[in-house]
Amino acid sequence: MDSADVVIIGAGVSGLSSAYRLAKAGRDVVVVDKGVVGGEASGRNGGMVSERVDEPVLIPLAVEATRTWETLADELGYPTEFVQEGRLQVAVTEEEMGALFAERDEALRHGLRAEMVDPSDIRDMIPGITERTLGGLFFADGGHANTQLAVQAFAWAFQDLGGRLYQHTAVTGIQVADGRVTSVETTAGPIAADMVVAAAGPQTGLMAGLVGVHIPVAPARVEILATAPIEPLSPLALVGNGLYGHQAVRGNLLFGGGAHEWTDVDLTTQPGKPNTPLIRNIARRLAELLPGVADAPVIRSWAGVVEQAPDYMPIIDILDSPSNYVVVTASAHGFGISPATGKVVSDLVLYGETNIDIGGLGLARFANVNPNWRHQRGWIPAPNRS
Amino acid sequence: MVVGAGVAGTAAAIEAARAGVRVMLVDENPIGASMMALDVPQFFGKRATDPLPDRDVMLERVAAANHALAEAQDAGVEVQLGTCVWGAFSNSATSRVLDGPQLGLADDERSWMVKYDRLIVAAGARDLAMSFPGSGMAGAMGANGAHALMTRYRALTSRRMVVLGSGDLGLITARMALDSGIEVAAVVDVSASVRGDEALVSRLQGTGVEIYASHTIKEAVGSSDEIESVVLVEIDDDCEPVAGTDKVIAADTVCLAIDLVPNVELLGLLGCDLSFASERGGWAPDHDDRMRTSVESVFVAGDVAGVHDGMILGDEIARSQGRLAGIAAAESLGAIDTDEALARSNELQPAALDATPADAHSDWQRWHRSLVNAGGLNVHACECEEVTRAELIGLQPPRYLRQGSEQASRRGVRTQAKEGPVNADQVKRLTRAGMGHCQGRLCREQVSLLLAEESGADIAEIPVMSYRPPVRPLPLRVMWPDDEPEQVRSEWPKWFSPTHRVLG
Repeated sequence: MDSADVVIIGAGVSGLSSAYRLAKAGRDVVVVDKGVVGGEASGRNGGMVSERVDEPVLIPLAVEATRTWETLADELGYPTEFVQEGRLQVAVTEEEMGALFAERDEALRHGLRAEMVDPSDIRDMIPGITERTLGGLFFADGGHANTQLAVQAFAWAFQDLGGRLYQHTAVTGIQVADGRVTSVETTAGPIAADMVVAAAGPQTGLMAGLVGVHIPVAPARVEILATAPIEPLSPLALVGNGLYGHQAVRGNLLFGGGAHEWTDVDLTTQPGKPNTPLIRNIARRLAELLPGVADAPVIRSWAGVVEQAPDYMPIIDILDSPSNYVVVTASAHGFGISPATGKVVSDLVLYGETNIDIGGLGLARFANVNPNWRHQRGWIPAPNRS
Repeated sequence: MVVGAGVAGTAAAIEAARAGVRVMLVDENPIGASMMALDVPQFFGKRATDPLPDRDVMLERVAAANHALAEAQDAGVEVQLGTCVWGAFSNSATSRVLDGPQLGLADDERSWMVKYDRLIVAAGARDLAMSFPGSGMAGAMGANGAHALMTRYRALTSRRMVVLGSGDLGLITARMALDSGIEVAAVVDVSASVRGDEALVSRLQGTGVEIYASHTIKEAVGSSDEIESVVLVEIDDDCEPVAGTDKVIAADTVCLAIDLVPNVELLGLLGCDLSFASERGGWAPDHDDRMRTSVESVFVAGDVAGVHDGMILGDEIARSQGRLAGIAAAESLGAIDTDEALARSNELQPAALDATPADAHSDWQRWHRSLVNAGGLNVHACECEEVTRAELIGLQPPRYLRQGSEQASRRGVRTQAKEGPVNADQVKRLTRAGMGHCQGRLCREQVSLLLAEESGADIAEIPVMSYRPPVRPLPLRVMWPDDEPEQVRSEWPKWFSPTHRVLG
């Protein structure tokens, strides 16, 4: 039987970042995925990399990730297109303005580099931005990266270290004996494993179900659009008017936001990722935010399926039983924090603990979640209306 | 809804309307000058008169080029010209928010949505583009683009043309050019003899058109971004250029008439099954003998259903397919009873489907190999994003990132292919090939050919790059929904948060 020290389920950014760190630590690692590297949310998100104080529990991971991103491309030997010119959140209503002040205070309490900027500063920072901004909050250490390049960089660097990557290989079962995983069954045959890392994104719940454990995550489809390349506007990561996004190095504006749709996934097929007419509403919001470039042609849109835990936060933990099963799921925060996620998961696999503070990301917080929580919350697919 | 007011679409619309169905027929022609300059939707090669006549004149010309349009209007069809279809949306397993399938439409000023019960896609075909040194200059264009400019728009500025491809498409293009007062310097083909209709060939030769068999184009030469001459070279059986056989020919236009490719974007968006069918112009929709696709509400007719020489030579196949699609759609809506629909379909089917199209793919491959051999790998496979063939097959990151490494230089399509089927979308996102403003219309096939050649796979095994809306470049201010409900604005959610609104 095929075997490995560690079998990682999922060739997304969390799984591959973890795989890279473990391979670097000398472990024999196999990564399996039903699709291809970065084929799902990891290669399809907005590429935002930032410390955020609206999610304080993530700050230690975000700080570590930001530090790692700076030198990541050199370390891996492949480009990530990381641009660290800062992240700007702009307010267009008094209510948003109030929230920015509160976030600023929180940021300073956590020792982050954050400052308020006034509307004229904002117009200098982003030519063509709406006159309607009331002010903004600037995080000097924020940035963005190219999602597909970055995920692929982890994958190739992992392979350069001898790591084995099995694409188009779905997990169909997980064998457990005496409270430990013994092997992972796949469409390419079983793989014996000393340790399993489930980095399965929207499939996290299904994967945990294979070992009889309930991990509450709900998959959701979200949308984003891209314009043709336009003149350089700003290298900042930008949040405002209900959107998030940035201008890619090539010049395309990439912006997403708006309502998501709860959905379901399965273990062996790729979820459909259609766009809806929501992209028109995103286009409107973007034209309102950046009226100076409202003529920019939209040439593409796409969607991705992400997962969300009940509190919208990642889960990183080792199960009690089977005791050699590490779960990592990011609740749509995965890309930005991925360099730190890899370090944490690698620590958990190697030492059973990590010195990066992941308090608050454990499964214990869901001990009392009703198994029927998705229905209770309404986080379930809508009935098909046509 | 019928998309495309060509022969097939118009016939379909008339048939359905006469059966009592309420029909809207939309067509994006006339295309605005800004789109034409971007080679949207055809490969116009910057050979349209500048400025184009104003919109009203263009509308008249487009209407005049299609006599059946008036008949459609008489039959009660609502005809909307100058209206592009940029999106098609329907519910699926992971998207259930719509209250019915719908199309995104737009003119130069605004966009809007239209719901439909049945959709007949008669979106035609586009030119198979392949690049050579100099093909990024003005004057490299496609046969369909040239046809549109010669007939519909009467706005082609070419003076002296070299036609690539000696199938019926190339021969007819040469004939039309001559009829439009354009000199045709040469018709070129990689095959050892002319592929198309012999009568057409002798008529062309009678007017002094040189035919170059077993030749390919080595480069187009020019200045100020304008083609002034082309260099042809003879090729051997392995598609390798023969030294010392260069021929320089003065021309301001190189017209690619190698093949046409079905415009399957909307079908791709709606999840219709597509298959690589060499004899039908590449990726084409699966359909039955009544022009029904794998999606119950979607029908196809004309070039989009699969294009081949038989369709290039005359309108009869497209017209019959259109009528079949119109009948099938009307029947599925209950406007015609099944017996009558079947009886009428049986009469039309011989004309619609009776063709013995030839394999086209080996011809694509031969052209492509000859261009790679003669032009080398340092030629753009993707013109918009300036990705060379070498960069594509080496999976190299975009040049502007300026980060090369020893490890990266060892990567490529070949190493990737050892790990499983090559994924064209993944390659696109890594290299940017196919990500430009032409939305892949000018590079999809050559990217697939390169990936197939390099990975040793059959082109049919390489999944087609996915289609995403908008399938036409649409300015933010046009896509902007001026009919946006107040509720969408007031309930617009912050990124996943306790107040995040759920669609539906």
